[in-house]
Amino acid sequence: MILAWLLIIPLLGGLLAWPADRITPMLPRAISLATLLLELGLILPLVHGSGAAILSAPSPITSGRWLATFDASWIPTLGISIRLDLDGLSWLLIVLTTIIGLFAVIVSWREIDHSTGFFHANLLWSLAGSIGVFLALDLFLFFFFWEVMLVPMYFIIAIWGHEHRRRAAIKFFLFTQGSGLLMLLSILALAFLHQRQTGVLTFDYVTLLASQPTGRLGTLIMLGFFIAFLVKLPSFPVHIWLPDTHTEAPTAGSVILASILLKTAGYGLMRFAVPLFTAAAHHIAPIAMALGTISIFYGAILAYGQSDLKKLVAYSSISHMGFVLIGIYSFNALAWQGAVILMIAHGVSTGALFITVGSIQHRLHTRDLTRMGGLWTDLPRLSSFGTFFVVASMGLPGLGNFVGEFLILRGVYAVSPTIAILAAIGLIPAALYSLIAIQRAFHGEANAKRGTHDFGTRETAMMLALGAAVIWLGIDPQPVLKIAAPSIAVLLPITHAAAIPATRRGT
Amino acid sequence: MMTLMQAAAPLLVLALTVTAMLAALAIRRSFAVTIGIAATGLILATISIPWALAARANPFPSLFNLTPDALGFAGLILLAGLATLILATLYLTRDLPLPREEYPLLLVLATLGAFAMATSAGFITLFLGLETMTIAMIGMIAYPRDRPEAEEAALKYLVLSGMSSAIVLFGIGLAALATGHLTFAPLLAAGPNPIILTALALIGAGAGFKLSVVPFHIWVPDIYAGAPAPSAAYVAVIPKIAVIAVILHLLAMPGSTVSPILASAVGIVAMLSMLVGNLLALMQENLKRVLGYSSIAHLGYLLIALLAAGRIGRAGVIFYIVTYAITVIGAFGVIGVLSRAGSARDADQIDDLRGLFWHRPLLATIMTLILLSLAGIPPAIGFIAKLYIMAAGVSADLRVLTATLVLSSVIGLFYYLRIILVMALKPADRAEAPASVIAIPITGWLTMAGLGALILGFGIAPQSLMTLLHAVFK
Repeated sequence: MILAWLLIIPLLGGLLAWPADRITPMLPRAISLATLLLELGLILPLVHGSGAAILSAPSPITSGRWLATFDASWIPTLGISIRLDLDGLSWLLIVLTTIIGLFAVIVSWREIDHSTGFFHANLLWSLAGSIGVFLALDLFLFFFFWEVMLVPMYFIIAIWGHEHRRRAAIKFFLFTQGSGLLMLLSILALAFLHQRQTGVLTFDYVTLLASQPTGRLGTLIMLGFFIAFLVKLPSFPVHIWLPDTHTEAPTAGSVILASILLKTAGYGLMRFAVPLFTAAAHHIAPIAMALGTISIFYGAILAYGQSDLKKLVAYSSISHMGFVLIGIYSFNALAWQGAVILMIAHGVSTGALFITVGSIQHRLHTRDLTRMGGLWTDLPRLSSFGTFFVVASMGLPGLGNFVGEFLILRGVYAVSPTIAILAAIGLIPAALYSLIAIQRAFHGEANAKRGTHDFGTRETAMMLALGAAVIWLGIDPQPVLKIAAPSIAVLLPITHAAAIPATRRGT
Repeated sequence: MMTLMQAAAPLLVLALTVTAMLAALAIRRSFAVTIGIAATGLILATISIPWALAARANPFPSLFNLTPDALGFAGLILLAGLATLILATLYLTRDLPLPREEYPLLLVLATLGAFAMATSAGFITLFLGLETMTIAMIGMIAYPRDRPEAEEAALKYLVLSGMSSAIVLFGIGLAALATGHLTFAPLLAAGPNPIILTALALIGAGAGFKLSVVPFHIWVPDIYAGAPAPSAAYVAVIPKIAVIAVILHLLAMPGSTVSPILASAVGIVAMLSMLVGNLLALMQENLKRVLGYSSIAHLGYLLIALLAAGRIGRAGVIFYIVTYAITVIGAFGVIGVLSRAGSARDADQIDDLRGLFWHRPLLATIMTLILLSLAGIPPAIGFIAKLYIMAAGVSADLRVLTATLVLSSVIGLFYYLRIILVMALKPADRAEAPASVIAIPITGWLTMAGLGALILGFGIAPQSLMTLLHAVFK
């Protein structure tokens, strides 16, 4: 039941927040904050006590050893149920969602000043949708939440975004919805295939795991999932919605998009696209790895060419997600560990970067790098935090992103040294765009006189917390690895030799 | 006597309602009384449906097909008629410089015709029902007769539906010539011969006209746009339910087979309807035209489930038509509650909805749900309906049609989202927007909130609707 509450609380919070701005614009913000704190209080304790015992004894997925489960009938006519299950991987991503959600609320405290009620309702609903995505183990329910997170996000971009928000919002919606429909076709095809084999129509994930369609049909069905997740990840060549959407969204929107919504794709690949179609996933692996490698370079090179700071961060996301993609399709436990760490670290550091860009825009009314320069003299706190998160996202050793990228590269090297070497070379353009961004934004001569209100207490506290998270992930990633290990052990189609030491080190 | 007439009770109640309304009009003209009789009649007829479902014998086996299926569709027609009647009551305000009493009469008459059509057991009843419905609808379209576009729409509908009726009649004549009967069964038993095929094609063209699928769709946008909002809702929904009822009845009859030629023809019609409907809707500035083109596309989706046949296909058709009725009546309802028959035009430009989110948040939310439902996005009921269609298509392996469905759904998103965006824009000027000045009576709010609740409720918990439909349509 606790899992149902995880969904009900943000949904109710949104319903409460919507009309609350008639009383005072402050009230919706407070409701959002309270809702997310309550959510955090609910999710955090789940890995302690009996949860810790379950995590330390990994067991096959079918034996039902979950941290928490919930099962209720929904549409029995079509074999659809409300099945929610929480394992280590879901737990990590839901904690990330809730915490990033909190920061999104805090960052929009000042930025959003009209119709705060509707804004916070949409914010909470899109978070509820992504929490649902991380929990649902009925394929149809999963798709339902996958779609549910879109509509509120669409509103956030279309109503509170920047100049070209309408175009960006429609583009975002079309890409995700269009690819989502392909996934729905695949889900249906899988369910009916299973019905033909066994006579039972069901959308239950654990049951369908046994189906494992092969051959051309299997590849076709798998492709529906694969394309939907590639679009959301995003990977070259279906990334075109991302730069526009990120640039036009309000800061909180960009933060949620980059830190949470992109992670649903990585999660989807790990949970659905690979385990449901083991053979087909192996078939597609070379293509996926190639796309991942292209994304690493393409994102980095395009980031280097941007003069809009927000676009630069957006393109760098494509590059980082390329690492996640090659990590997942190396089918190597180490690489999967790295992908999980990188997803979380990227969520934190990119979220922080978008907050920094948002703050710069709030103060300078521009995101144009050519009109910045010399920010360090005027805004030392903002600039130092900005620099910190740029080098974090670049993969400076000792910080979270480095651990993720390193584990991925090590894991991939065991499978395909060529890809690993290519991807490692991709770190060079990453350093280039990161350093040039620091150089152009924060250093040099100030080319205009500006008002000097640096980060206040609210913003500094927020940045300190995010910075601490990145450092902690970099120095001591072991707890995270330990929580994710049992899930990875179950989800990975072939347990490589490398997986065993990794899990042992974890326990 | 009572038990003998049990199965036909709803039909008799409806016929008596028409008589009572005529009598009341002859005694004294009163809008309130006419509306009262119409509403009571429709409600009584609806209530008598469960009772009629329990009947053991059919008093008119040669004229009416009073099986649970047909009565289920009839019930849907009655409920849809009742919803449009409520909308019409709000729409026809006192300031209309015309007598208002005939509108409810025409509406009940058209409902009687649709009822007869949906429950027809042979060509005679089918044709009589069709004509009763069509002629009454022409009156409903032309009702605000000082609006030139309403008159134009009615004239177009008169000419075109007259033509389609003539084609249907020719088809019926050929069928009678070939089989010597005016009932459906001999036609299906006769097997393929050129005359039968021609007859089927002609009757099919008539059905296509009423279903507004490509290539019989040309009339749709003009007539939806010209008709007053409640009439447009009626024309968009009720004839389609009646035609679908007849088609499902024919398909369910023993010995009915869909020949491959017919199936591929229907497949092409479905594909064209989906693409043409959605593509043409892109360029419209008038909301009623958008709804017109979108209804063409929706009927294209529905044909997929019809072609898929089987249990899931049949359930899909029924679920989809129910969803379509709720959603389309809701969409025209939003236009209806923002417009009045006395004014020069309806608030049917997309721009009329500008800023609706800020001065009427509840109505804008309902409209958003309606548009999400039309676009097939959760949590609206249209999502489950589209799921049904896709499930039917996938289970019957109709790959090309299902792929077209996905493609055209994405095209459709463009215009549905655009309307939502316009509603979310900052209001231009509060005083100028008709949407912000018109007063909406409490019945209007209740009806719209009820439709919105159905769209959201059945979208989140579709099982209740599925169970209900399963109980009626065995």
